[in-house]
Amino acid sequence: MKRSYKIIPIYTADVSGVCSALYELGGMTVMHDPSGCNSTYNTHDEIRWYDQDSMIYISGLTEIDAVMGNDEKLIRDIEIAAEELKPKFIALAGSPIPYMNGTDFEAIAKILEQDLGIPAFSVPTNGMHDYVYGVGRALAEIAKRIEGKREVTPKSVNLLGVTPLDFGPQEHVDALIQNVEQAGWKVLSTWAMGDTLENLARAPEAEVNLVVSSTGLRAAEILQERFGTPYVTGTPIRGFMKTLLNAIEEKKQVAYLEKGRHIGLTGNELEKSSENQIILIGEPVIMESLAAVIETEYQISVRVICPLREKKGLLADGDIAVCGEEELEQALQSLKNVKGVVADPLYRPVCPENVAFYELPHIAFSGRIYKKKLPVLAELI
Amino acid sequence: MIKIAVYGKGGIGKSTTVSNVAVALAEKRLKVMQIGCDPKADSTIALRHGEAVPTVLDLFREKKQDLRLEDMVRTGYQGVICVEAGGPTPGLGCAGRGIITALEKLKETGAYEVYQPDVVLYDVLGDVVCGGFSMPMRKGYADKVFIITSGENMAIHAGANIAMAVENFKTRGYASLGGIILNRRNVAREEEKVKELADDFKTQVIGTLSHSELVAEAEEEGKTVMECFPGSEMAEEYRKLAEVIYELSKESGEGWKC
Repeated sequence: MKRSYKIIPIYTADVSGVCSALYELGGMTVMHDPSGCNSTYNTHDEIRWYDQDSMIYISGLTEIDAVMGNDEKLIRDIEIAAEELKPKFIALAGSPIPYMNGTDFEAIAKILEQDLGIPAFSVPTNGMHDYVYGVGRALAEIAKRIEGKREVTPKSVNLLGVTPLDFGPQEHVDALIQNVEQAGWKVLSTWAMGDTLENLARAPEAEVNLVVSSTGLRAAEILQERFGTPYVTGTPIRGFMKTLLNAIEEKKQVAYLEKGRHIGLTGNELEKSSENQIILIGEPVIMESLAAVIETEYQISVRVICPLREKKGLLADGDIAVCGEEELEQALQSLKNVKGVVADPLYRPVCPENVAFYELPHIAFSGRIYKKKLPVLAELI
Repeated sequence: MIKIAVYGKGGIGKSTTVSNVAVALAEKRLKVMQIGCDPKADSTIALRHGEAVPTVLDLFREKKQDLRLEDMVRTGYQGVICVEAGGPTPGLGCAGRGIITALEKLKETGAYEVYQPDVVLYDVLGDVVCGGFSMPMRKGYADKVFIITSGENMAIHAGANIAMAVENFKTRGYASLGGIILNRRNVAREEEKVKELADDFKTQVIGTLSHSELVAEAEEEGKTVMECFPGSEMAEEYRKLAEVIYELSKESGEGWKC
């Protein structure tokens, strides 16, 4: 039962992450699925669904087509739709059934590309990873394919890892951009909200890539490998801008760690804490950036608990990686002198009752339930 | 690196042939990796003198994310690197999905980069019955497929099914058909029927193996013919076959060193 979830939900799955990442880029994204659980993409995960068009499809895989390996139907349906809609690219995302069947999406993408002359690729999802993996892999596929040149525009950045799942509506993303631009750095492209595929192709011109959430890390690594662009990890939250700018200027890879963000504790020494502390639960880059501001501005210890899988190299000393609800509850119970917990409201039932709870809605966790309460992260502190 | 997949009807002598070809290639100072893609997990048994190789799937079930490459690999006769994909409990689970998982785990743990074999031989269970069994011929795995058959009708029928699958997968960038290997059972019109199969799929019978008692004798010893009877005519036949397979495959490989 260690990894089961009895009370809290799980994070948005990888397939929704792919759709969210590619939503605004003019491509066609096809989830190969019977349209069961993946319909939660438009009902729960995608806040742009009713206001902004996109070519997101579910294949409607049937039992007999799955059993018989009828890939031809998928190919034919996509080709009919693509000939009419002329997408800029076609992205295929798998779900549990084709995963179990071993559907060869790479081969299907190759056939589509040959038949249609439209770039096609697959993102190896199976519905069993979280959104960080899905968004990350989708943006990485774009990073592999852009054909820009490394002619650097000084003092320019790309923001990598931007979806509503982490940052909410476009106005909130505009605030992130504004923080960066007010500091004298031009934002060339934002991966991938409020921007076009053509503009993303300008990414190699940036002096630095700014990984604003863990979902942008894979793309940053590919852009570094392909074009030599260094990257810095940290979220442009107003109070964090000074630290972030220093890291950008000095090309230090993880801005909040360079700042020396730690709480003086490591590993199993939790009980030694005598200071009051605040707990932040959520996505590692945003939470660590917030933690750095809180520690600097308010002189209070902060500990981040990260329930997401991809956090290697992204957590500060003493922060806690958990897997599953039980581990999270144990981690929360084991911490002493906790003054408050900051997390998505749906975490409240598993948090200690005698500790103040501060709501910080996160679409990737609670969907659109708290959309109206979403804070502008860039202006939070 | 040359990557070859060998298919054919169950019991036709795939593992015996592949193991002997592996030794013949290793004798030429090539680093050979043989990957058994069969739930029975006995492809490399003659290279290991009857000692079983722990299967990738059993190890994955036991160790989960802590699975390490060195756990999955054993060294056999003439330094052949032996791997067995393994499979589910008979009658349960999904053997095809098992092959996919096993080959993915090998790739994820860097098997090809770490061992840098000159030749990889995928010894695949019987027919291409589902998506999982086409995995060894997918892009990134084998470049050439060889089909082993005798002149028996059922073996030829299975061979035709496999050749048909390879043909159907052409647009997907999968492996191409390297040819047919005749493993004689001394049935009537044997050569004629197998040549007919090759003609139907516009390919060649690239090698013929005699029906020799030495094969059974070596098996009884838990060894390959190449080890047991290295000076025999049968061993020579395997050497000749290995040479032909190598020559036909090296054009599609990514490079060659000897």
